[in-house]
Amino acid sequence: MSLLEVKNLKKSYARGLLGRRVEVLKGLNFKVPAGTITGFLGANGAGKTTSMRCILGLDFPDSGDIFMFGAPPNVESKRRIGFLPERPYFYEHLTGTEFLQFYANLTRVWKKPELNARIVELLRRVDLHFAKDRMLRTYSKGMLQKIGLAQALIHEPELVILDEPMSGLDPDGRLALAEIILETAKKGTAVFFTSHLLYDTERLCQRLVVMRDGLSIYEGTTDALLEQGGMKIEILFKANGLAQTKVISSQEQLQIELGELLRQGATVIEVRRTRLSLEEIFVNVALRGVKASGELK
Amino acid sequence: MRAVWVLAMNTYREVIRDRILYALVLFAVFLIGVSLALGQLSFAEQARISANFGLSAIHLSAVILAIFVGSNLVYKEIEKKTILTILVRPISRLQFILGKSLGLSMLIATMVLGLATILGLVFFGLGLPVDLKFGLVLVGLLAEALVLLGVTLVFSMITKPLLVVCFSLGVFLIGHWQNSLNHFAQKEGAGILRPISWVVNNFLPNLERVNWKDLVLYEQPLALWTKATALGYCVSWFFLCLCVATLIFKGKDVG
Repeated sequence: MSLLEVKNLKKSYARGLLGRRVEVLKGLNFKVPAGTITGFLGANGAGKTTSMRCILGLDFPDSGDIFMFGAPPNVESKRRIGFLPERPYFYEHLTGTEFLQFYANLTRVWKKPELNARIVELLRRVDLHFAKDRMLRTYSKGMLQKIGLAQALIHEPELVILDEPMSGLDPDGRLALAEIILETAKKGTAVFFTSHLLYDTERLCQRLVVMRDGLSIYEGTTDALLEQGGMKIEILFKANGLAQTKVISSQEQLQIELGELLRQGATVIEVRRTRLSLEEIFVNVALRGVKASGELK
Repeated sequence: MRAVWVLAMNTYREVIRDRILYALVLFAVFLIGVSLALGQLSFAEQARISANFGLSAIHLSAVILAIFVGSNLVYKEIEKKTILTILVRPISRLQFILGKSLGLSMLIATMVLGLATILGLVFFGLGLPVDLKFGLVLVGLLAEALVLLGVTLVFSMITKPLLVVCFSLGVFLIGHWQNSLNHFAQKEGAGILRPISWVVNNFLPNLERVNWKDLVLYEQPLALWTKATALGYCVSWFFLCLCVATLIFKGKDVG
C-alpha cells in the first residue's frame, strides 16, 4: 500500500517584474510505500522542495493529484505525518521541552503524564535531554536539527517527510541522525527524505525517486539503480615515484591502458573491479541525463 | 478550538519574552510619571491634565503594540519559515490567523491592565475616582486596538511590514479625524471633501466611537447603549478584517 502517491503534479511560479511563469514541476509522479525509507534525489532546482511543499499543503499545485493514506490530503492525514523542513527554523523563545509540548498539543489531545513521558523518551533518543530547559536560541545547528526531528516524531506519525535532514551536520551528527532514521523505520514509520549526501542515502534508503527538471526520472529500489550503474575498473600504479589511480569502464580499455602503463615503465600495483557508487550513478542519471529504468519508467 | 488556544498561548509567550514589550511598558510608565509632573504646571486642572496624559500613554502603547507587533505577526512566521512546521499539522489557515490574533489581543489586554493598575494608583493619589467609567475608557482603548490589529493583519497579507505600519497608522489617524472630516464635508463648498468623507465613512473604521476618555476627563454621562453599540461596531470590524485576512491567506503559497 502506498502512504503517499503523487500523480501528474504541476506547479509554476511567477518570477520577475513581469510575472513570467516558470514551470518547476512538469507532471511529477511517484509513490512512497508503507514501511520503507525512500530517498528523494535531484540536482539543485530539480523541484524536490517544491514537490514537498505541494504535498504538505504549504504551496498550491497548478494541477495534478496527491493522495495521502489513499485519500486527498485532509486534517486526518495531517495528523499522521511528521515534517522537518530544510533548515531548522523554530521558535527561539521556547525551551526544548516547551517546543515539543507545543507541537504535540497542536497535533492531538494528550494526557499530561503520557505527553511528559513521550517528551522525555524523545529527548533521550535525540540525545538532548541535557538541554531540555534551555531556550532554542542557545542550541547549535546540530542540536536544532535533532530537536526538529523530535518535533516531527512527537506524535508517532506513520509517514515522516524530511527535507535535507543531514545538511550542515558534522559526521557525528549525521551518524546519530541516520541511526534515529533507521530506528524510526524499524518501528514501522515510513521515511521519505531528500538529501545531497548520497553516501548516507545509499546506506539508508531501500527505495529512490530521482528527479530532473520537474519530472521523476527514476523510481525503484536502490539496489536496482546501483546494478544498472554497472562496474568500473580502477588501476593503481606507481609512476615517477608517485602512486596514482586510473578509472576505466571496459575490459578492452583495461588491456590498452595496462600495455601503455607498462611501456611507460610504470609499476602496476593493483587492478580493482568495483560497483559504481550512488554518487557516480546520480551524476550520470540526474545531471547528465543518462536513462535509468525503474518501476514506472 | 484547542489548536487556536495552543497557538494563542505560544504567541503570547513569544511577545512576552521579547525585550520590545518591556521597552514599550517602561516608556508608558515613564509617560504616566511625566503626567504627574505636567499636572503640577497647572493650578486648577492638575488632575485632569494628569489623567488625560496617563490615559493617552496607555492608548498609545496599545496602538503601538497592535500595529507594530501585528504587522509582523504572520509575516515573521513566513519569513522565518516557522510557519512550515505549523501548517503541516492538522490546523487550518483560519485557525492559524485566529490563534495568532487571539494571542496578541490577550497580550494587549494584559499590558493595558498592568498600566491601568499603575494609572489607577496615580488617580487614587490625585483624588480621582477609579470606577466603572475608568474601566469603560480602558475597554474602549482595547476595542480600538482590536480594530487596528485586524486592519494591520489584512495589510500584512498583501505587503511588507514597513508599508503595513504606514497604512495602519494612516487608518489610526483617519479613524480619529473622521468626525471632523464629516463636519467639514457637510459645510457648503466642501468640494472634494464630500466624496472623501463618503469613502472614509464606508470603508474605514471610525475610532472616535470608542474614544471614551471624556467620561473620566469631563464626567460625561454613561449612555451604556451607545457604548454597547460602539463595542459591537468594533468587534464586527475586527472579525470582518480577520475574514478578509484569512481569505487572502488561504490562497497564499507559504513555502
